[in-house]
Amino acid sequence: MIKASLRGLLQRKLRLSLAVFAIVLSVGFLSAILVLSATLNAQFSTLFSTINQNVAVRVEAGEPGPRAPRLTAAQVRDLAATDGVAAASPEVSAEGVVPYRAGDDTPVGTDQALGFGVDGRDDPLGLVALREGAWPAAADEVAVSAHTAEQARVKRGDRLKVYLPVLNEPRTFRVVGVVGIAGGRDSLAGETMVLFQEAFAQQTFYGETGVYAGVSFSAADGVSQELLRDRITAKLPSGFTARTAAEVNDEQAAAVSTQFDFFTYILVGFAVLAGVVGVFLIYNTFNIIVAQRTRELALLRALGAGWGQVAGSVLLEALVVSAVGATVGLSAGIGLGYWGEAALAEQLTMDPVPVVVAPSTVLLAYALGIVATMVAAFIPAIKASSVPPVAAMRDLSRPDRSLLGLSLTGAAFALPGAGLVLLGALADLGGAGFLVLLGGAVLLLLGSLLLAPLLARPVIRALGFVLGRGQAGRLGVRNALRNPRRTAVTAVALTVGVMMVGTAATVIESFKSSLTEALGTSAGVEVLIQAQLNAAPDGTQGFDPKALERVRAIPGVEEAAAWHFDAADVAVAGQPQFVFATDVAQAARMFSMKTVSGSLRSLGARELVLDENTAEALGLSAGEQTKVRLGPVERQYTVVAVYEPTPLVSGILVGPAAVADFNGPLAMQGLVSLDEGVDAAPVVAQVEQIMKDYPGVRVGDRQSYVEQSSAQLDGLLLGIQLLLVVSLVIAALGILNTLMLSVTERTRELGLVRAIGLSRGGVVAMVNVESILTAVFGVALGLALGVGLGAALTQALIRLKFATAITVPWTQLAAYLVVAVLAGVVAAILPARRAARLNVLDAIAYE
Amino acid sequence: MTTAAPPQSRQRAETAAARAAGVWKVYGSGEAQVVALRDVDVELERGRFTAIMGPSGSGKSTLMHCLAGLDSVTRGQVSIGETAVTGLSDAGLTKLRRDKVGFIFQQFNLLPTLSAEENILLPLAIAGRRPDPAWYATVIDTVGLRDRLHHRPSQLSGGQQQRVACARALVARPEVIFADEPTGNLDSRSGAEVLAFLRRSVTEYGQTIIMVTHDANAASYADRVVFLADGAIVHELTSPSADAVLDTMKSLDRRDGR
Repeated sequence: MIKASLRGLLQRKLRLSLAVFAIVLSVGFLSAILVLSATLNAQFSTLFSTINQNVAVRVEAGEPGPRAPRLTAAQVRDLAATDGVAAASPEVSAEGVVPYRAGDDTPVGTDQALGFGVDGRDDPLGLVALREGAWPAAADEVAVSAHTAEQARVKRGDRLKVYLPVLNEPRTFRVVGVVGIAGGRDSLAGETMVLFQEAFAQQTFYGETGVYAGVSFSAADGVSQELLRDRITAKLPSGFTARTAAEVNDEQAAAVSTQFDFFTYILVGFAVLAGVVGVFLIYNTFNIIVAQRTRELALLRALGAGWGQVAGSVLLEALVVSAVGATVGLSAGIGLGYWGEAALAEQLTMDPVPVVVAPSTVLLAYALGIVATMVAAFIPAIKASSVPPVAAMRDLSRPDRSLLGLSLTGAAFALPGAGLVLLGALADLGGAGFLVLLGGAVLLLLGSLLLAPLLARPVIRALGFVLGRGQAGRLGVRNALRNPRRTAVTAVALTVGVMMVGTAATVIESFKSSLTEALGTSAGVEVLIQAQLNAAPDGTQGFDPKALERVRAIPGVEEAAAWHFDAADVAVAGQPQFVFATDVAQAARMFSMKTVSGSLRSLGARELVLDENTAEALGLSAGEQTKVRLGPVERQYTVVAVYEPTPLVSGILVGPAAVADFNGPLAMQGLVSLDEGVDAAPVVAQVEQIMKDYPGVRVGDRQSYVEQSSAQLDGLLLGIQLLLVVSLVIAALGILNTLMLSVTERTRELGLVRAIGLSRGGVVAMVNVESILTAVFGVALGLALGVGLGAALTQALIRLKFATAITVPWTQLAAYLVVAVLAGVVAAILPARRAARLNVLDAIAYE
Repeated sequence: MTTAAPPQSRQRAETAAARAAGVWKVYGSGEAQVVALRDVDVELERGRFTAIMGPSGSGKSTLMHCLAGLDSVTRGQVSIGETAVTGLSDAGLTKLRRDKVGFIFQQFNLLPTLSAEENILLPLAIAGRRPDPAWYATVIDTVGLRDRLHHRPSQLSGGQQQRVACARALVARPEVIFADEPTGNLDSRSGAEVLAFLRRSVTEYGQTIIMVTHDANAASYADRVVFLADGAIVHELTSPSADAVLDTMKSLDRRDGR
C-alpha cells in the first residue's frame, strides 16, 4: 500500500510540485523571520558585549532622561572605593549632539548622535582610545570618532559645527583628536560621537559641573559581577540602580531588537498569508489528484484495501510533499536570513555575524509545513476513502452535490459577522468597538469563503456579459460556471490577500482625504514645521519657539503657532496620557475648534482643555480639577473647556506656561497660516533657512505634511501590497493547476469544438476567459469585502473624529482588478497552449 | 447559403463532394510500420448517402478521417468539393471544417454546458453566422426535437442526443457530413430512427453524407456501399439490401481468413 502511494507520487510530480511551491513560500518566510531575528539578536549581543567588554557593573539612574538625578563627584569616588572595584569610568553623555558636515553646512543624518564628556585621561575601561591628536582640554575643543570624522568630512585641526541639545543651538569647535572604538572599529553601529571637555559637557548637558549620569566599574580579579553589584548596591544613593554587565547586555539587545518589530510583523504576515493561500492550493491539488485517481482507488478498494488504507495513502502522499516543501522552504529561509543580516550589517556599518539557526526554527518550519498540508489534504483523503469499489468497473457519474449545506454554514458565519461589523462601525461601544468589528470581519471572511461557490454563479454570469464576447468567450463563461465549487476554491485564494489590501487602502485613502480637507478648510495652514523624532517627544527635540518670531516677520505670514508635545512619562487624572502645549485661543482660531462646554481662551499655568472623547474617558468636565503629572512634577489643573475633536486637533491641551514642566523647552510643531493669495513656496524656503539651526526639523507645505502624516500608513499599505503579490503568485499557480485539470478532463469537448470549426485562437480565448473570470471573481469578492470593512473601520474612526469622510480609492481598486485580469491571462498561458495544441483526431477518436 | 431551397449541391453534381486520389496512410516506420491505407482512389458523389464498410482494422475510419481533414495523408491527394484538403494549414483546415464539413460521432459529443438548441446552433455561432429560420425549423421538425430544445444533454436519451448531433451537423448545410458509426452507441430502435432521418435528409434535401459503419443493416440505408479490406477498396454495392451487404462482409472475412 505504501509502495503504491509512493509510486503514484512520482507520477504526479508536476502537479504536486505546485503544492510543494506553496509550502516552500510559506515555510520560507517563517524560517527567514526566525533565522533573521535570532541572527540580529546575536549581532546586537556581540555589539553590546563589545561596549561592555571590560564592564562588570553599571550604575545608572532608575529612570534615565533629563529629569533623572545625578551623581556627584564625591559619590562617584565613594562608589569607586568599594572593595573589588578595579577601575571606574563616570559618564557624562547626551543624545542629539548632531555634527554638521563641513562644506555644505548640513546636519549629518544618523539615527544616533552621541555626545560625551571626557576628563583628559585615557578611558579606564578601554571602550574608546585615541588614534591621533589629544583629548579635548578646553571648552572649544572636541575629539570625534573616526566614523564621525568621515561623515562630517573633518580631520584634526579643522573646525566642526555641532548642535548642542539643552542649549538648543549649534556651536563651533576645533577638532583636536580622533578616537577609535574597541575592536578597531570606527563606530559601534554607525552612530556619530563627539567628545567634549568634561566640565563643558557637564555644564551644557546637565546645567552644572561636577555631576555624572552614571558610572561603569570593572571588577578586580576573582570578584564576580554579581558580588560586585551587590556590594555597590549597598552603598548606592537613592534613585540609582546597579546592574551587572550581563544584565545590561540583555536589556540593550532586547531594546534594539524591538526596533525591528515592524519588519518582523510584515514577514510573519507573509508567512501566515502564504500559509493560508497555500492551504487552498494544496486542498485543490489533492482534490484533483483524488478525482483523477478515482478508478485506481476503486480498484484498490475492490482488491480489498480498507477505507483507512486509502485515506492513509493520500495522507502519506501529503506528508512526503510537506516534508519536501518544508525542507526547501527552510533552506530558502536560511538563505533569506543570511542575506537580510548581511544587508543590515552593511547599512549599520557592523561586521556581519554567522546566521543562527535555532533548533526551534527547524521545528517550527516543519510544523507549519506539515500541519498546513495535512489540514489541506484531510478532506480530499476522506473523499478518496469514500470511493466505492464499483467505480473501478464503470464510470460513475458524480452528480453535483447540493450547495445548500455549505451555503447555510457560510450564511451562519457571514450574517452574524456582517452584523458585528455594522455594530462595531455604527454603535457607540468605545474601544471595544474595534474588537467587535475585527471579530465580525473574521466571521464575515470565513462565511464568505464558504458562500463563494453559491456566489460564483451569479457573479460570473454577470461578469460574463462583459467578458464573454464571441462564441469562444461564451463557452469559456459556461466552463467557469460548470463546477462552482472548483471555480470558487480556486478563486478564493486571491480573496484573502485582496481583502486586506482593499481594507487598508480604503482606510488610508479616507484618512488622507480627511486630513487634507481639515487642513484646507478649517485651518488654512499652509506651511508646517515638524520635528523628526527618534524618541518619545518630551520637549528636548525640535526647535526653539522664539524662532517663530522671525517666521512671523516674513511678509505674507498671517499667524505662526508653536505646538509643544510631551509624551514621556505623563499622567492625567492618574492615567498615562500625552499633552500638547500651545496658545489655545490661537489654535481655536486657526483650526476653527468648536466648544462643547467652557471657553477656548489662552490658558494660564495649571489650566487645560480637552476633547470630548478624552473628557469622557477620564470622566472630566469643564470647571473640574484634576491632577497632571509631567515626569516628577505633579500639579492640580483646572479644566477650562471641552472641545469637539477633529482629525487635526484632539487630546489634552495646556498653555505655554506649562512647558516649564516639560523635559525641554523645544516645540515639536510649528503651524503657519498665510495672508490671502500668498504663494507658499517662497515662504517655505525662508522658514527652512530659519530652521536650519535645528537638526531634524523639516519644513513643508500642506501637501507634504499630509504625505508625511500618512507616510507610515503608506509604508503599511506597501507591505500589504507585497503580501498581495505573494498571494497572487500562489493563486495564479492554483488557477493554472485547475485549468490544466479542466483541459485534460474536457479533451473530447475541445476536440469537438475544433472539429466543428473553432480555431486555435478560439480555444485559447475560451481558456483565457475561464481563467480571467476565476481570477476576477476572487478579486471582486476580496475587494467587496475589503471596501466594506474599510468603510466600516473608517466609520468607526469618524465616530472618534479621527476622520471626516469615507473615501473609496477607486483608481487603486481598478488597478487591482487589472492585475487580477493579468494574473488570469498569465495563469492561462500553459493550459490554453495545451488545449490549442490538442490533436483533433486524438481528442475525438475512441477506437 | 441564404435560401431555404435545400439542395444547391444537386446542380453541381458533376464534381464529387469528396475525393481521394492515390491516398496512402502509413503509421510508424521500419519494423513497426503499419499501412492503414494503400493507394485508395475513391470519389463520393454529391447528394448521395455513401457507407464505408469493412472489418476492424480495414482502414475505414482512417479513410474517413483523411477525407474530413482530421488526419493527414502520407501520400496522395484529398479534396472536398473544389478545395484541396492536402497541404492546408491548421487555420485552413479550421475554415474548411467551419464552412464545408459536418460531423456526427458515435459518442454524440455534445457540450454538456449547452442546451440542445445551443448545441445545434454552435457551429453557426462559431462561424459567426445567423441560422436561416425556415431551414432551422425544418431541421428541428425533421429530427423531432421541438419539445426538447431547452434540455441539457444529460437530460436526453442516447437517441435524442444523437438526433441533436445530427441536427447540429445539418443546420449549417455543409457540403458533406461525415458520420462515424452514428448508431454504434444506440439501441436498434433509436438507431433506426437516426438512420431514417439521415436517409430523409439525403433524399429530400439533397444532403451529402458519408458514413462509416460495420453494421450491415445501417449500410443498407445507403445509396452506395464501399468495402475496404487491408487499407484498399475491394468491393462496392449500389442500393444494397442488408443481406447483400452481410454476404459481402462474410466473403471479406473469409478472404481475410477470420
